[in-house]
Amino acid sequence: MAIADFVKSARESFRVGWKIESNWTDPVLFATYQIIRPLASLLIVGFIVILGAASSQYLAWVIVGSAFYAYVLQVMLGMAILVFVDRNRYEVLKNIYISPGTLHPYVIGRGLVSVLNGTISVVLTLLFSVAIFNGLLHMNIPLNLLGVNLLMLLPAVVLGIISLLAIGYMLCAVNIVSNRMEFVLGDSVSGVFFLLGGVIFPISLLPGPVQYVSNVLPVTYFLDTVRESFGLPTPGNYMSNLAILGLTTLAALILGISVFRLAERRAKRLGLFDRKSEY
Amino acid sequence: MLPELSIREELLNNLRAAYARMWVRLRGANRDPTALAAEIGLPILTIGAYVILYRAIGFPATAGAAVIIGGAMIAFWTNVLWNMSSQWFWEREQGNLEMYLVAPVSRMSILLGMAMGGGLNTAIRALGIVLLGIFIFQVPFQLKEPLLVGVVFVLTLVALYALGMLFASLFMLYGREAWNTANLLQEPVYFLSGAYFPGFYGPIVPFAIQAAGSLIPMTIGLDAIRRLAIGGGDIASVWLHIIALVACTLILFPIARRTLSYMESLGKREGRLTLRWQ
Repeated sequence: MAIADFVKSARESFRVGWKIESNWTDPVLFATYQIIRPLASLLIVGFIVILGAASSQYLAWVIVGSAFYAYVLQVMLGMAILVFVDRNRYEVLKNIYISPGTLHPYVIGRGLVSVLNGTISVVLTLLFSVAIFNGLLHMNIPLNLLGVNLLMLLPAVVLGIISLLAIGYMLCAVNIVSNRMEFVLGDSVSGVFFLLGGVIFPISLLPGPVQYVSNVLPVTYFLDTVRESFGLPTPGNYMSNLAILGLTTLAALILGISVFRLAERRAKRLGLFDRKSEY
Repeated sequence: MLPELSIREELLNNLRAAYARMWVRLRGANRDPTALAAEIGLPILTIGAYVILYRAIGFPATAGAAVIIGGAMIAFWTNVLWNMSSQWFWEREQGNLEMYLVAPVSRMSILLGMAMGGGLNTAIRALGIVLLGIFIFQVPFQLKEPLLVGVVFVLTLVALYALGMLFASLFMLYGREAWNTANLLQEPVYFLSGAYFPGFYGPIVPFAIQAAGSLIPMTIGLDAIRRLAIGGGDIASVWLHIIALVACTLILFPIARRTLSYMESLGKREGRLTLRWQ
């Protein structure tokens, strides 16, 4: 399939996805919805750090980690439910599958909607965090949003997003061949990343054997490189973290595409593209 | 002309309907052991992250115990949101709502069945979460009044599911809003209920947040259970909580009933009771 056709299909899929996710209400309520969830999560951790009288630098570390974790949540939850919604609720998965564009650009386009939602959440969460902790509570946390190094931030975010989309691809694949995992899968994977990805505490606090798992997750290096672009301390240096992020992203991509192709073939063979389940 | 039913017969019909709805929910939710294991194991991931955070910043081990109880209670809130509040939305999508509406029973008995089934299902999962949490994180409990904990727990569930009935009525005509509103009410309630805090009604949490949180029955029940199970408290430390929980139930249940009737007649007037794919 020509690249231009792929991009066109992905763009149309993005448009459909954006409309489904945003036009159920007015823009103000939609923006409120985008901010309230990540902000509430951040406030939980923020209050715990304040209760524990931890340093303001640690609070900044937690804020950046929690804010960028919104990408993980949005992509995992959005892509885990995608196949279920299109197959069971709107009953269009089979139509998408038999269309010339096939499923791949469709899944990418819908995944990018989650990325856009994540970006809105990240930006708003960072702004509100500074407003609340520095403006309202006068905590002087060392978080200068205007001083962020964009040359360090952009490659980290791009690689992080690609790795998350690759993992989201795998979640779609699992849902194509299964009909009972849709509500558990997104929460499970994002829960694992929350615990093991160094979101609210450094992974060095995890038990030794568990740290090995953390060390192969792209999310760990995504958050480390992002924190470094904000001038916050992390283990290792930026270039080595970025290199490992690149490698783990490549591995996730290869795995994601392979798993998706396998699932696609199996679904075709067993006639799963129009299987509905209501329970 | 059909004979009129006596009050006893009508009551029996409604209880049968509630039992039937409860049975479907129990059967449906427990037939897949993988899902059951996931629903117990999943919250442990988040609970674990908070327990490690508490240890990292030097909190006593009782903070971990408080988080485990909070995590278990969150399972009930999630159930209320997704299996009570949004339930009419799912039923309408699957074509069951019209059957409920033409059945010769009160819609409240269907909601009661959902609540009983959901409450029992979630209690099994919550027990699993607490036991697994204690086993993994080795946190201390100081339980002197187990019977009182049971009473407070049941009162909390009754008040919480009464709130669920009210939400179910309010969400009755929602389309995608049901899904998004349920999503919206997750993390903010985790924050406002103090589910992941070691204590909620203390000097550090601002009064406005405490007041907002107290509108959710789970906040009150959770604080009472923590006082009894972790602080070793007795009736003197939770009597106000008990009164508040009873008051919540007495207020929420009739409001839910009236709201359900109103939304049903509104749906009939606007022809939205069978509308799908909104």
